[in-house]
Amino acid sequence: MLHLLSIDLKKLTNYRTFWIVCGLYFLTLGFTTASGMEFLKWLASKGADFGATININRIPLYHFPDVWQNLIYISGFFKLILAFMVVISITNEFTYRTIRQNIIDGMSRAEFLISKVLTNVMLSALSCAMVFLIALVTGMIYTPELELAYMFADVGFLGAYFLEVFTFLSYTLMLGLLIQRSGLTIVVLSLSAMIEAIIKANIDDTLPWLIQFFPMEAISNLVTMPFPKYVFQEVQDYVSIASVAIATGWLLFFNYISYLKLQKSDL
Amino acid sequence: METVLSVQNLTKNFGRLCAVNQLSFEVKAGQVFGMLGPNGSGKTTTLGMLMGVTNPSAGTFSWFGHAPSHLIRKKIGAVLEHPIFYPYLSGQKNLELNASIKGTDPANIARVLELVELTARKDDKYKTYSLGMKQRLAIASALVNDPQVLILDEPTNGLDPMGIAEIRHIIKRIAADGKTIILASHLLDEVQKVCTHFAVLRKGQLVHIGPVDEVGKGEEIVEVSAYHDDLGVLLQKFEGTKTVKKEGVNYSVHMNEGFHSQDLNRFLFSHNIVVSYLATQKKSLEKQFLEILSENKK
Repeated sequence: MLHLLSIDLKKLTNYRTFWIVCGLYFLTLGFTTASGMEFLKWLASKGADFGATININRIPLYHFPDVWQNLIYISGFFKLILAFMVVISITNEFTYRTIRQNIIDGMSRAEFLISKVLTNVMLSALSCAMVFLIALVTGMIYTPELELAYMFADVGFLGAYFLEVFTFLSYTLMLGLLIQRSGLTIVVLSLSAMIEAIIKANIDDTLPWLIQFFPMEAISNLVTMPFPKYVFQEVQDYVSIASVAIATGWLLFFNYISYLKLQKSDL
Repeated sequence: METVLSVQNLTKNFGRLCAVNQLSFEVKAGQVFGMLGPNGSGKTTTLGMLMGVTNPSAGTFSWFGHAPSHLIRKKIGAVLEHPIFYPYLSGQKNLELNASIKGTDPANIARVLELVELTARKDDKYKTYSLGMKQRLAIASALVNDPQVLILDEPTNGLDPMGIAEIRHIIKRIAADGKTIILASHLLDEVQKVCTHFAVLRKGQLVHIGPVDEVGKGEEIVEVSAYHDDLGVLLQKFEGTKTVKKEGVNYSVHMNEGFHSQDLNRFLFSHNIVVSYLATQKKSLEKQFLEILSENKK
């Protein structure tokens, strides 16, 4: 297993685009999630212009345990950048035809897929680690009174976040394998949520129960938006078992389709 | 001799096109096996199936008596069509990747780079290589696991005469080590120079298979000329003559089987004619190849 991961990493770590995309990803992810307080201050100063007073200290954006769901929810938006990296990684194998040479050299088709899936696991885990660190540090800075019991109370969202990123990257890998061209794959990937939204809007009245089973919906349902609670609305502040089950189902489905496609095609 | 590769009724259809049709043949250890055929005759498709990148529509094949698997492919070195490498990696890094996939010792890399004379350029990116260097790196990558069998598909495609000579030299050196080589090419001259056996494909079908030695056996053609006016008439009288044609200043004599140029020479001398020019024309592979193809056109 590690051998297969090391093969794929050898392809990536000597590729400059990989470092640029990954660097931009972690940079934007880090800056955005860490600068929430600055955003609140800006909001408060804008509000002050209109005579509204917002006491930003009353919004515990970075307080344990709120910080977990808040940061993880925001981080979810950036997975698209990570997915671009996966698109480049898989479609390069087709443009350079190196997938063909990998098989000729003695990789099985399943091994090729596993090497790519393991890289997805690694990218998802790295993203998790990054979010964990930022949440931990910002939480420790902004939480007025640190209590160990509260600190890690909602850390379980991190598991859901891992599933969210990994499922999305699996979807990306499948698209890349099916389409094989980077430009078209990126367009389809970026439009997926929008296309799904149009379909959802059309069946909203007739089959509302079906909506939670849509793939993009399932992925985003893992960690729901926490912010309305600051204006005293009820939010889902836990990870629902149903959403984990549905997302896991899609995760397996995407990778199985990738497997079938690889087995059947002439490379 | 040990059978390295055995192919039975291998078939590949692309939609309505039958690219390879019921192909069966065997390659024994130590052979340099040439696969000939015009462009589009199914050579690369066949090799693609043998190397697991193209799924056969029907038929079977076995390597070293075993059913094909990715583990067996690790023991084979193959370059199909054109060299394939990661353009942004150096030659060295590309070979490290090949070695890693094949599960072979990376210490071999220095040796194969030396063999194809790329040591000086090993740290340059692959995309900066010339075509000849790319072809040579491909041969290096095929050799990195010290394979029992080497498969080369048009290894001299697009090379200049010097590059072709270099590659031919490398192939001969590898063959001298006792390795089995399967060489697909449409350059007949090349096959005749390096191969021990050859097969001819046409529209996906095997139309001929046999040793290269046998090419040129059988009836001889002798070119002869002498300063004698009646040479043409006399040649007709020779019992070994089948037909005589005048080509320029020379006569081209198509001999009956069992007669050779020395018999003709002796005959003419006994009739007091001393030849000024006498040459035996060996039937070239090219000639035989064209004959085989035209025979099978019906």
